[in-house]
Amino acid sequence: MNRSLQSLAWLLVFAALAMLPQVLTVKYYLHLSILALIWVIMAQGQNLIQGYTGYVSIVGAGFMGIGAYSSTLIGMHFQWPIWATMAAAPLVTALFALATGYPSLRVKGHYFAIVTLAFNLIIVIVLVNYKELTNGETGISNIPKPWGGSRDAYFYLVLMLAAAMTALAALIARSRVGEILLAIRQNEDLVGSIGIAAWKYKLFAFVISAMYAGLAGALYAHFQSFINPEIFGVAQSLDAILAVILGGSGTIAGPVIGAFLVVFLPEMLRFADSFRLILYGLILVLATIFMPIGIVGVCKALIGRFSRKEAAS
Amino acid sequence: MSSRTITGAVAALTIALTASSGFAAEKKLTIGVADALTGGGAVYGLPQANAVKMAADEINAAGGIKVGSDNYKIDVIAYDDKANPTEATNAVRKLIDRDGVKYILGFCCSGSTSAVASFIGNEKAVMLVGNAAERSITTKKIPNLVRTRPPADYTGQAAGTFIARKGHKRIAVLGALDVGFYAQYVDAVEREVKKTGGEIIAREVFSLRDRDMTPQLTKIRGLNPDAILVVGYVEPAAFVYRQAVELGMNIPRYGFTSGSEEQFLRVTTSEQMEGVWDLRPTELTLLSATKNGIAYHANYTKKYNASPSPSSPYAYDQLYVLKAAIEAAGTVDDTVVVAKAIRGLPVPPQVVMQYQPVDGKMFDVNGQAYTSNGAFQWQKGKWVFVEDLPSDSKAYSQFLSTLN
Amino acid sequence: MLIEILQQTINGLAIGGVYVLIALGLTTVFGILGIAHFAHGSISMFGGYLTFFLVTSQGLPVLAAIPVALATGILLGLLVEMLAYRPVRHANHINAFIVALGLTMMVEGINLQLFGHEQVVIPTGLSRVFRFGGITVPELRLYVIIAAIVLVVAMMVFVERTKTGQAIRAVAENRDAAILMGVNVKSIPLIVFGISTALGVAAGIMVGALFAIAPGIGEGFVVKGFAVLILGGLGSFPGAILGGTVLGITESIAAGFISSAYKDVIAFVVMILVLLIRPQGLLGRTP
Repeated sequence: MNRSLQSLAWLLVFAALAMLPQVLTVKYYLHLSILALIWVIMAQGQNLIQGYTGYVSIVGAGFMGIGAYSSTLIGMHFQWPIWATMAAAPLVTALFALATGYPSLRVKGHYFAIVTLAFNLIIVIVLVNYKELTNGETGISNIPKPWGGSRDAYFYLVLMLAAAMTALAALIARSRVGEILLAIRQNEDLVGSIGIAAWKYKLFAFVISAMYAGLAGALYAHFQSFINPEIFGVAQSLDAILAVILGGSGTIAGPVIGAFLVVFLPEMLRFADSFRLILYGLILVLATIFMPIGIVGVCKALIGRFSRKEAAS
Repeated sequence: MSSRTITGAVAALTIALTASSGFAAEKKLTIGVADALTGGGAVYGLPQANAVKMAADEINAAGGIKVGSDNYKIDVIAYDDKANPTEATNAVRKLIDRDGVKYILGFCCSGSTSAVASFIGNEKAVMLVGNAAERSITTKKIPNLVRTRPPADYTGQAAGTFIARKGHKRIAVLGALDVGFYAQYVDAVEREVKKTGGEIIAREVFSLRDRDMTPQLTKIRGLNPDAILVVGYVEPAAFVYRQAVELGMNIPRYGFTSGSEEQFLRVTTSEQMEGVWDLRPTELTLLSATKNGIAYHANYTKKYNASPSPSSPYAYDQLYVLKAAIEAAGTVDDTVVVAKAIRGLPVPPQVVMQYQPVDGKMFDVNGQAYTSNGAFQWQKGKWVFVEDLPSDSKAYSQFLSTLN
Repeated sequence: MLIEILQQTINGLAIGGVYVLIALGLTTVFGILGIAHFAHGSISMFGGYLTFFLVTSQGLPVLAAIPVALATGILLGLLVEMLAYRPVRHANHINAFIVALGLTMMVEGINLQLFGHEQVVIPTGLSRVFRFGGITVPELRLYVIIAAIVLVVAMMVFVERTKTGQAIRAVAENRDAAILMGVNVKSIPLIVFGISTALGVAAGIMVGALFAIAPGIGEGFVVKGFAVLILGGLGSFPGAILGGTVLGITESIAAGFISSAYKDVIAFVVMILVLLIRPQGLLGRTP
């Protein structure tokens, strides 16, 4: 597919999404769509570190929590307007990411994953036990919603931000930095041997992905109006990983598709209750074995085959 | 004319028409249950969902809910919220927006309940909370929310008086203090024991997945307390009782766990439990049960081939409350009227828990119901009801009204 | 004070022993196949659940149930290797990790489906308590510690003294050289998964007898197991043994003398500190 056709496809997707509040009469689906768009931001961030750089981070939900709590708490204690706290949330998250990224990135591969998972556990334990600040497991309710809680308005806010963050991810991916990140995924030692300080780029990807998560967290808090530590546990970090894998890692469209899947799929399976976990796990295993390139990868392959045939005929 | 009077007039007209035709219409009322059916909270949530379904079957068999000359048969949709706030919000949105449900029952666990409580005030729906004990759920004066279980510190206050009366001065606490309502229980106990010169000398924590409590207990053993107070979910708490004996701690043990004999004996021997006190709401135990309680236990055991959890009647009672309120309000559609009717209701005769009405009503102005509290002691293999813990529901209700 | 420190050390030994067994299984798989076998905890707990089921529902004595559970566990380990990990062996290492996560969800779901959400405790009937001065040690706890030591020694003897054990070590150290030396590289993954799952199931039985098995417990142990690996050094057997013991005792002492609320945080902070000061772990080889 050439560049202009691709932009046209993105425009169409954007337009279709923008019409959702008018089309969806059952507001439950609008509610899920807002969550899915928040997860688009989350997954785009996860994709930068996981898909492009090749480092599986399991602290995404923890950073989402830091974003959610910082936006909420700054608003509560300093009476900042919502837009200001939302803008501050990714910055606070970035500070935490710098502090955790440095030790985490000293190890590679699976061990990086485990260390980040430990950080997610630590974040939850601190959120639960530092009650003076976070109100502990009880959580914080009545977090202010913008525009008097209008769901339609919030949908458009989240849609704009999801589109902007997707565009930013595409920019990063196509830049020189993106190329180096991809090179790190292919062969980190080689990158080091040609005199590039790989650690700087890894830390950059890690911090940027944390900022994405922080923004998603702030959007979540002001949408649901309630947060507690449980929402930001390891299970949600795994969802972010799942979104990237299912959609297609290292692509821009992948996280968008993956985010909608991880929000809507469990809702579709809500009837299945305890089979849900088994089914979910099975999908993950089968998808990785048989479809490691994700849905976007499969589509690209199909389109490629199709257009080749057309050219031949 | 407001829209409410219009609906009222239409309803009255419909009633008049159907009454004159002498034909009782059979209708369906769909109610929702949002509760933890899988995961850690399922120990509480699953029996609650079962209890609601059982109550619905009973009510349907007895003719359903009567509104004017209409008979409503109850249909129950239960969704799993895994005790998770996001899942609970999604489940309730699905119930209200997609399934068109107006009455939502269940709610075993505090985090998920608080998340739903934060928006239910804006919905045309009524929410009945069960086992979730976090106090702040009923301090926000949400007009369409009520709760059958009393907050933990209401019980803690009564427990503190009881412990103080036993003459203990130095009390060590070991519990799930990272959970809000357990900490509130301990705070209430502390206020009471301080009045008689006692103090809490340690507040040690265990988490939901901890099973080895020996580090915390060893620390407490070194402090030489007069008594130990264990607050938390039954599964870890059972290990505290066992390991305290194993560490040779021979001091009075008090608790707030609401576990059944079966749950404790899985972990401990009966000798290790001998003499332990449980200071808690007088929930379902066969020894203290009323006629309703015995029937509930028998029916539940027969229907589900398992004993009901002690807290499951909180959800069972919700449906009888709802039935009484809808019948009193004379409408199933106007949730504002039904919510108001619930607040004005006396305790319905079919409920299982022993509620203490405030000013003759089951729920106070905050939408909170109160049960009696009791002191239970483990004696020779089972919980024995020893005495009622004096608890002033009216005074507590006034205290609850001052919070927000 | 001294008695308290000694008692806390004894307290930490039992859980430390479980950590060592879990970590040994993880380190074998990682050292030889390069897979972070995340489902290890849930599969181990499956073994514990199975023992519970055989004892309570089938009336088997505990000592008869254990071999059955071990055999089933080994079989399950082989299946996991052949069906789930083998297809992604030559793919990017992320894929193996994602497969491991999916497997974890599946096994957790299967455990839930088969054994329910209530916690289970394997009944042993051992409730005596030994006293040494001011220190108390329950009988069962002592047996768990002894069993862990026996298993660790057996594992070391196997790796050091037997032909298969030496082959495994050879592959771990240098795959290509091992092939040149005529080691059958194809059967090694199966043997490794069998052994590591057997160790895991043993740990699961210990947890089920001394503590309890419930949904999510296995995931908790596998995270701690990986923390032990990082602490001790990747792929190092002595590192796993030292790391597991150190982590168990650290947790116990931290809960007793610092804060029980932040007990797990302290354990992870120790792990992160080791990473900062000595990234290869306490006993790991310098890369």
